Amino acid sequence: MLGFGADLLWADMNRLLAFLFHQGVLDEQFLQLQQLQDEASPNFVSEVVNIYFHESEKLLTNLRGLLMEREYKKMGIHLNQFMGSSSSIGAKRVTNVCVAFRAATDQSNRAGCLRALEMLEHEYCYLKNKLHELFQIEQQRALVAGVRYPV
Amino acid sequence: MAPCAAAAEFPVGLRVLVVDDDATTLKIIEQMSIRCRYRVTTCTEATVALNLLRERKGCFDVVLSDVHMPDMDGYKLLEHVGLEMDLPVIMMSGDSTTSAVMKGIRHGACDYLIKPVREEELRNIWQHVVRKFWNDNKELDNSGSMEDSDRNKWGNDDAEYTSSVADAAEVVKAPKKRSSLKEEDIELESDDPATSKKPRVVWSVELHQQFVSAVNQLGLDKAVPKRILELMNVPGLTRENVASHLQKFRLYLKRLSGVAQQQNGMLNAIPGTIESKLGATGRFDIQALAAAGHVPPETLAALHAELLGHPATHMMSTVDQTTLLQASIQGLKHSHAEHAVAYGQPLVKCHSNIGKNFSPSILTVNDTSSGYGTWPSSNNTIGLVRPNSSVERVGIQNNNMLMDILEHQQSQQHQQKQQLQQQSLIHDQSCSINVQPSCMVVPSQSSDTFQAVNSPASVNQDFSFARNAIIDYSLLSQKSKNSFSASQFPGGDTKARGVLYGYSTPSTCSTSSSNGNRQQLQNSTLTFGAARPLPSLLPMSDRKDPYGFKSGDLLDQVCFRNLGFVGKGTCIPSRFVENEIESSVSDFSQMKVNVDSSGNTRNQEPNFINIPKVSHPIIERYPSRDHSRVFTE
Repeated sequence: MLGFGADLLWADMNRLLAFLFHQGVLDEQFLQLQQLQDEASPNFVSEVVNIYFHESEKLLTNLRGLLMEREYKKMGIHLNQFMGSSSSIGAKRVTNVCVAFRAATDQSNRAGCLRALEMLEHEYCYLKNKLHELFQIEQQRALVAGVRYPV
Repeated sequence: MAPCAAAAEFPVGLRVLVVDDDATTLKIIEQMSIRCRYRVTTCTEATVALNLLRERKGCFDVVLSDVHMPDMDGYKLLEHVGLEMDLPVIMMSGDSTTSAVMKGIRHGACDYLIKPVREEELRNIWQHVVRKFWNDNKELDNSGSMEDSDRNKWGNDDAEYTSSVADAAEVVKAPKKRSSLKEEDIELESDDPATSKKPRVVWSVELHQQFVSAVNQLGLDKAVPKRILELMNVPGLTRENVASHLQKFRLYLKRLSGVAQQQNGMLNAIPGTIESKLGATGRFDIQALAAAGHVPPETLAALHAELLGHPATHMMSTVDQTTLLQASIQGLKHSHAEHAVAYGQPLVKCHSNIGKNFSPSILTVNDTSSGYGTWPSSNNTIGLVRPNSSVERVGIQNNNMLMDILEHQQSQQHQQKQQLQQQSLIHDQSCSINVQPSCMVVPSQSSDTFQAVNSPASVNQDFSFARNAIIDYSLLSQKSKNSFSASQFPGGDTKARGVLYGYSTPSTCSTSSSNGNRQQLQNSTLTFGAARPLPSLLPMSDRKDPYGFKSGDLLDQVCFRNLGFVGKGTCIPSRFVENEIESSVSDFSQMKVNVDSSGNTRNQEPNFINIPKVSHPIIERYPSRDHSRVFTE
């Protein structure tokens, strides 16, 4: 019975992943992350993603502040970092929004920046939610798989 | 570390220092390095990294540095490292524009990696180390045999400098010594086993600029070492120094006008390094290619012929060079993202022994271009987004000769430095990753993040490389959570702060009961993003609250919608249901995602879903499924 649940959870996870890939939320870099996870570092992906979330939220807060002050250059710098980290974990859509955002900051286009910032926040939240889902399934799977009656 | 063992498994044990202000990338590269079995040390601040390097000279083989860092420009770090420690430095950046890459070269980077860095690229960095060692030896010893000079060099150096690289270099070289020596160019003329008597000439930025201006004055085609030497009028500089430098310089120009080929492993050709600030680039990434366009095949063929046919005479005619340069500049206008043009580099004589291995595969330009296959689309979009701006920029910069650029380099550095100094520091100190003496990865964390309850293995990645083991990375158990703080690094920012910032994620199975309530709320909001586009989301003012609950009325509304899922005591987000996913998808399809210049088809995806309509067994367990129907309307 429990084994059965584990398989279903596995299927759930794969489905969610496929969904995210297809939507372009994640790209193959995320797969690289998963491959880096092994017995020696079993929670690598979630750790990295946690770091990413932590940093990103700081960046987003900063970005909003800077936009209010119209500090385009600084925003560009922050965005560079955001882009770097987003692309490192394979957050394709977020990265793309960052690119557009940076273009807007290069032109000191305030309206464009505003739009881009909102879109960035949106995409970021979506990503975060989906990744949390993924991790929850993963955890559940671990839980279920762990509690297994000896055969 | 037993040198023999290390040499046998080279590049295992390569000592890498990674500097990046972005903690995410840092962690990923760290893990990749561990996978490659390198001994990695990480650093978030350039100043700390420099101190580390200074204090422990000879403890690192290669430095990987980000370009954009808050406290110090990556290029400045590059210069310092090159001048003071003469280590190979590899730059990393998300910026793939040609100008950025070129700037990296100009400052002497051995390579320029585009983020996101992949593991395969990391596996290749050892070549820069080896190449640099070999080049250094040749500089030292123009008349000695390579093998002997190597041995002597290592013997003369600090006894602690038992780098696996040196041994490996010898090991790799030894069998080929005979054949390589035959083909060596004028630089290695005799078999004199004596050690080098000449002091090494470091081509500093100023010296190189003098050189460049001298060459400029004379004209590239007329620039002979003797005359350059006269013009430069630098005491202590010999004609041989100038000659070898000139040789490298010409190669460097050639290289810049060509385009690199992005392939893993074998095809990553080895151009000769220029010892000075103009470091060689192993390759350009395809993104740089995308902006750089391609070199017309005939010039490429000419390049090949040149390199293959007459290795001894590195005097390329000015005409060729200018043609190449102009072709490359004009090629900027025609950017073909998929074009893979072989980098006309592979057969520098000095490294013919390695070059031999690679040459057969590199010669065929056409073959290699077909080998490109699919490039990760994410990278493409990044690279292509600003092709116009980069074209203009480079076009303006580059009339003909790169000499002008070189003269501008200092002023540009200055500007960049000023720019960066004006930034406010993004990170508070607590973000810095602890610098470890010998690649002990920062392990401790303050609070639990995602901890699978049942996994006895430690959540923290505690990789500690034993001081004398090469490939030993053992997973420390949870006891080591507090253990690492002992290895504080002197002279640096040594906040013993964990890598995992204790971001309180909704670890549903975690034991932290304080999060209990929040968890459930968080569960429920997992699809809020699927709702109609929210105009102003999450100001993210409160870091403790991951979803920014305190802000945004719309957010609350969405939360309340999903609250039906709360309190069912389920860990699985039950809104992971086909219906909802569909609705979320269709919502997204309506959103104008106009960011992607390459026109990804993200805008219409209502019918892609592979999610079967079959009712899911798991879902049935959760009575909240009924709620989902409500939301799909």
